[in-house]
Amino acid sequence: MKLKSPRALMATAMLLAGANAAEAHIVAARLGDFYMGAMHPLTDLQDVVLWTATGMLAGTLGAKGRWLILVFPLGLLVWLPFGSALGAASTQLAGAAMMLAIGMLLAAAAQVPTLLLCALAFAVAMIRGAANAADLRPETDRLLFAAGLACVGYGAITLTMALTAVFKRPNSDSATSWRAIALRALGGWVAAIGLMMASLVLAS
Amino acid sequence: MRAIQYLRLALLTLTLGLAALIRPAALSAHEAAMGVLEFREVRPGAFVGRWSIEPSIGAARVDLRVPSHCFLRLPEMNCGQQGLVGPITISNLGSNMSVVLIRLIPIEGEPRSYTISTANPVVTVLGTDAPTLEAWIELAKTYVNYGIDHILLGADHLLFVLGLIWIVGGGWRLVKTITAFTIGHSASLAAAAFGLIGVPERPLNACIALSIAFVGVEIVKQQRGEIGLTARYPWVVAFTFGLVHGIGFASALAGLGLERRLLPAALLFFNIGVEIGQLAFVLLVLALIWAHRRLDAFVPRWSEALPAYLIGSVSMFWFFGRLARMFAAI
Amino acid sequence: MSLRVPRALTTAIVSFALTQPALAHEQAGVAGGLVSGLLHPITGIDHLIAMVAVGIWGAQLGAPAIWILPITFPLVMAVGGVLGVLHVPLPMPEVMIAVSAVILGGAVAARLRPPFPAAAFIVAIFAIFHGHAHGAELPRAVNALAYGVGFVTATGLLHLFGITIGTLTRWPAGERIIQGLGAGIAGIGCYFLAQGIGAFA
Repeated sequence: MKLKSPRALMATAMLLAGANAAEAHIVAARLGDFYMGAMHPLTDLQDVVLWTATGMLAGTLGAKGRWLILVFPLGLLVWLPFGSALGAASTQLAGAAMMLAIGMLLAAAAQVPTLLLCALAFAVAMIRGAANAADLRPETDRLLFAAGLACVGYGAITLTMALTAVFKRPNSDSATSWRAIALRALGGWVAAIGLMMASLVLAS
Repeated sequence: MRAIQYLRLALLTLTLGLAALIRPAALSAHEAAMGVLEFREVRPGAFVGRWSIEPSIGAARVDLRVPSHCFLRLPEMNCGQQGLVGPITISNLGSNMSVVLIRLIPIEGEPRSYTISTANPVVTVLGTDAPTLEAWIELAKTYVNYGIDHILLGADHLLFVLGLIWIVGGGWRLVKTITAFTIGHSASLAAAAFGLIGVPERPLNACIALSIAFVGVEIVKQQRGEIGLTARYPWVVAFTFGLVHGIGFASALAGLGLERRLLPAALLFFNIGVEIGQLAFVLLVLALIWAHRRLDAFVPRWSEALPAYLIGSVSMFWFFGRLARMFAAI
Repeated sequence: MSLRVPRALTTAIVSFALTQPALAHEQAGVAGGLVSGLLHPITGIDHLIAMVAVGIWGAQLGAPAIWILPITFPLVMAVGGVLGVLHVPLPMPEVMIAVSAVILGGAVAARLRPPFPAAAFIVAIFAIFHGHAHGAELPRAVNALAYGVGFVTATGLLHLFGITIGTLTRWPAGERIIQGLGAGIAGIGCYFLAQGIGAFA
């Protein structure tokens, strides 16, 4: 089990990097709007980074994370009816800020309270739900798209949390075991990316 | 043990609502989005084309591209000395037109069929000789993809498989059960595709819906501590209903009017595609079950029975809907 | 133990590098950005050796440096990146990067063990310069996010590589090899330094 999780994550990451948003639309043509909704976030790097970071943060916190199984998919759906009410720039800025915040919490190995964790995850889901909705085309069946989005949100967050929990091993509590360090280092990476993205959006 | 039960419940609750949503779209996609174009050779190299089933977007809007040496202005197509050899593609395939079947009726030799789909938008037409290796690869690509698409869009099949996983649990019993289901549907798919058995489609679809309701009932029984038929002999149930579902798969192939000599191969590849899709689904469900167990994520006790009743409701909803279609047809 | 994960990661990098050229044309967006971001720290030899030296030095210093380093370095580097994005000029960036290789390589070779805050301060200064160089490229990237992910990942992996080499310090012979490596890094740094000053003069 020890080796499986990083390998699996790597494999997924490689698979995803090969795809892009245009492919999500090809999927739509081939399998309909449900699968388009399910594919769409997987082809957007911002979704991949943010979702993974959220899942990892929740996974390191143990049992608190299980609330996200419900909270995260719900958050994805909240903003969907309003579509692209948020501009692209503000979505990006909000996403970058969330990356920074979640990355810092993960890097600091902070014991985030359940309520804050849920609020963070809900915010991430809402921001990304809005961003995904912005790409909806007029002919897309919104209900199916939303269902696909919620499904993939549920699956991705649940699997990431479980993989992280397994990787971290709940019994090794030390914040300086190499497994904990690996996760915290990833948190540092995410925070760094968030910081630079935020400055980039503000600069342009 | 309790935990496993809860998480299965959680899984089902989440997937069920969606299942109910997908089916209507899938149905319409399969029924309306297909077109059949027939090319009849009138003199060597010269064809007359005709839509025998017009796609729903209208024949004029289909962007058909033929090999560059052919001159196409429907209904005429002239390919000169070389004959019709080379790639044919439709560039504007989409959600409103996902499959176009092209039938070639040469002066000499048997008619041939090619399927252009969003999964496989280019087909290569070969001469009248025996199929070459490329032709086989082409065929494999087309039908494996078609099989994957078919199972992924068949929410009823997936729901049935989900119910089986729920009752049987993981491990060897699940492997045996899924294998039995696979053998069952492969056998009846083959039999139906070769015309050995013929079952009208609409009653059959109603039957498939009923089979899911049966699984729902079995889940409720299991929760009440009774040992149902599925819990005792899961492979028997899986095999029997596999037979029913297999005939359902065959109806998807029947619409394509395949060439007889290619039918066994197409059938094999289609089945492989179906198995790939089914295996992916089973693995995903097992991964999610594993994740729920890891996270100690339970469904509250009061809603324990909800998913089984949801399965039952959705399948009965399908059943009555399909029953209504059945009588509407008569 | 610590060797296994790097192996998985390296496999991933290699397969990325191998599969991408074919895809680069069709997907200049995400994949292109990732690859150029991943390659940017690796193709600049001065960056590469300095990052590896940071990892080796961290391992040489032992706890807490060995685990604080991979967590905080990317963040400090990102601060430099922000300066780069905002076009805040830093004095003589090329020279400073070469200097960082010289000093870090020298520190490894000499088995220098300054107090932790001092070491952290030195590394932080260099991190800002390295981040600045990458950050200046960021606005020009087709997909800035992918580029950022790529270069942060590459930098982190270089540290990991350095730390892995650094674990050789457990054995006396390994310690010698590492000192040799440090001297080599300092030497290459000197070459770049000379080049940088030559261009400057």
